[in-house]
Amino acid sequence: MKIYVNDQEVDLIKGMSVRQALTQAGLFEKIEKGARVYDAWGNETGLDGALEEGARLTVKAE
Amino acid sequence: MTTKGFRALIALCVFSVTCILLPLAEAGEAVQLRILYVNDFHGFAEPYRPSGSKAFMGGIAYLADELERQRQGRPTLFLAAGDMIQGNPWANLFEGRSSMEVMNSMNVSAMVLGNHEFDFGPKVLGARIQEARFPILAANVREIPKISPYIFKEIAGLKIAIIGLITEETPTSTHPKNVQGLIFSPAVDTCQKALKEIGAQADLVIVLSHLGLPADIRLAQAVDGVPLIVGGHSHTRIESPMKIKDTLIVQAWEHAKVLGLLDLTFQDRKIIRYEGRLIPIAPDKQQPDPRVKEIVARYSQEAAAVLDEVIGQALLDLSAQGARTQETNLGNLVADVLRKETQSDVALTNGGGLRTDILKGPVRMKDLFAVLPFTNYPVVLKVTGRELKAIFEYGLSDAGGGRFPQVSGVRIIFDPAAPAGQKITSFFVGEKPLSPETWYSLATNDFLAAGGDGYALLKQIALLKEGDPPKENRVLLFDTGRELRDLMVSYVKEKKQISASVEGRIQRKE
Repeated sequence: MKIYVNDQEVDLIKGMSVRQALTQAGLFEKIEKGARVYDAWGNETGLDGALEEGARLTVKAE
Repeated sequence: MTTKGFRALIALCVFSVTCILLPLAEAGEAVQLRILYVNDFHGFAEPYRPSGSKAFMGGIAYLADELERQRQGRPTLFLAAGDMIQGNPWANLFEGRSSMEVMNSMNVSAMVLGNHEFDFGPKVLGARIQEARFPILAANVREIPKISPYIFKEIAGLKIAIIGLITEETPTSTHPKNVQGLIFSPAVDTCQKALKEIGAQADLVIVLSHLGLPADIRLAQAVDGVPLIVGGHSHTRIESPMKIKDTLIVQAWEHAKVLGLLDLTFQDRKIIRYEGRLIPIAPDKQQPDPRVKEIVARYSQEAAAVLDEVIGQALLDLSAQGARTQETNLGNLVADVLRKETQSDVALTNGGGLRTDILKGPVRMKDLFAVLPFTNYPVVLKVTGRELKAIFEYGLSDAGGGRFPQVSGVRIIFDPAAPAGQKITSFFVGEKPLSPETWYSLATNDFLAAGGDGYALLKQIALLKEGDPPKENRVLLFDTGRELRDLMVSYVKEKKQISASVEGRIQRKE
């Protein structure tokens, strides 16, 4: 499935979570430094949260 | 007492009895109802420091303390929106029994099944359902004993219907054997059917959902007559209720880091006022509830004992040393277990994922946590012989990196001095030479399948589809219910004595 992290397209196996999307986007290190992940509606999302085709995530520094 | 006083007393009594017997909603009175909720607890019983956080968060005993405070003096429901019993070792080491005991102590009004509730298999799920002292719901799954599609709760003069809905992706997010014989139906259709059955029986309908926020929004857009969805699955921190058409949607993040609270004022079968928020849970914000604290501590002690328990014997030293440059006996063992458990032709794991040795002698569960400290799940891909060779060409192209393959089911000879992409000089799968056009099943882990350690080809294959039109998935299995480590634990427990040798699965050309 295709999702977007900070507008960057990321291809994931169906069933993969926010954590794996960030790893693929090369942004997981930012999380370890305190950045947070938000969904398309501006809600913070947990790293093990389920994703759907077309999901849009934004990683923002705290 | 005077006659006038006596009449006044009678009138007061009649009024009081009427108030008790007549549902307040029908009487046109405004009714206050508090909904408290959690989701995606995943057995995170102890407070912990999430990635990137300086503070400890969560702790189910602290959440229980807040729960009791928020329940005081008012009608409440406490709802659990799924994925409660699996995840953290505190839960997994007891196959969810610890989580169920905690929930039983917290007077849960209802819980919906989450996809991870299936991860320990049908027998264990059945046992957990038997233990639950609260209703467990799932309207869109059939053939699970003692699961209800919906229930009615009568509270504060209101008759409340609670419908449970679980993600339709469940059959593909756990091992197929965990959902064998079960029938999953589309959530929207099922919800509409349930609403039709419920009809005018309920004053208020709540959907307790483990669908994820996007699916909850679609449900709210597609279905009328659901004023409230209490959700889970997407681990979303909805600080104040979202409103989609006439439906409120709430969700309380994950891991008991918050307790969701929604106050509703209800009149004439309508929500006329609402106010919701998430209450942070942390050791510096609440006191631990003594009953829940005792349960958490008891299972934590038991977990320490379980991790320390001898589950088998290593007949020789099993070495991870050198797993980044060469075949190792521990790498062979891990790859063999992965191949056997997934019934695949070939298994590949990355040498960099093996972090320490297992020494000759007793093997404890904690030893396997040390060898495989990462949370990695098995993935099985359908690959051609040509692709398989290309994958191993990449794996052998940089001896010294974490990508070096530890394998099962193949014998490879390679020339380290040859150019990249041309290093393999001999390749057997089982006893037969590799056939470029033949399909093989390749077991690996989710890290590599996502392109980790640079395995871009694995990632590309995982996203391909076959057929005309192309719809057949190349991912044969993605089991997010059992970690690679769990497979190893089961293997050692079963075999009791373990050994492995270096047997020339990957050889350098002299």
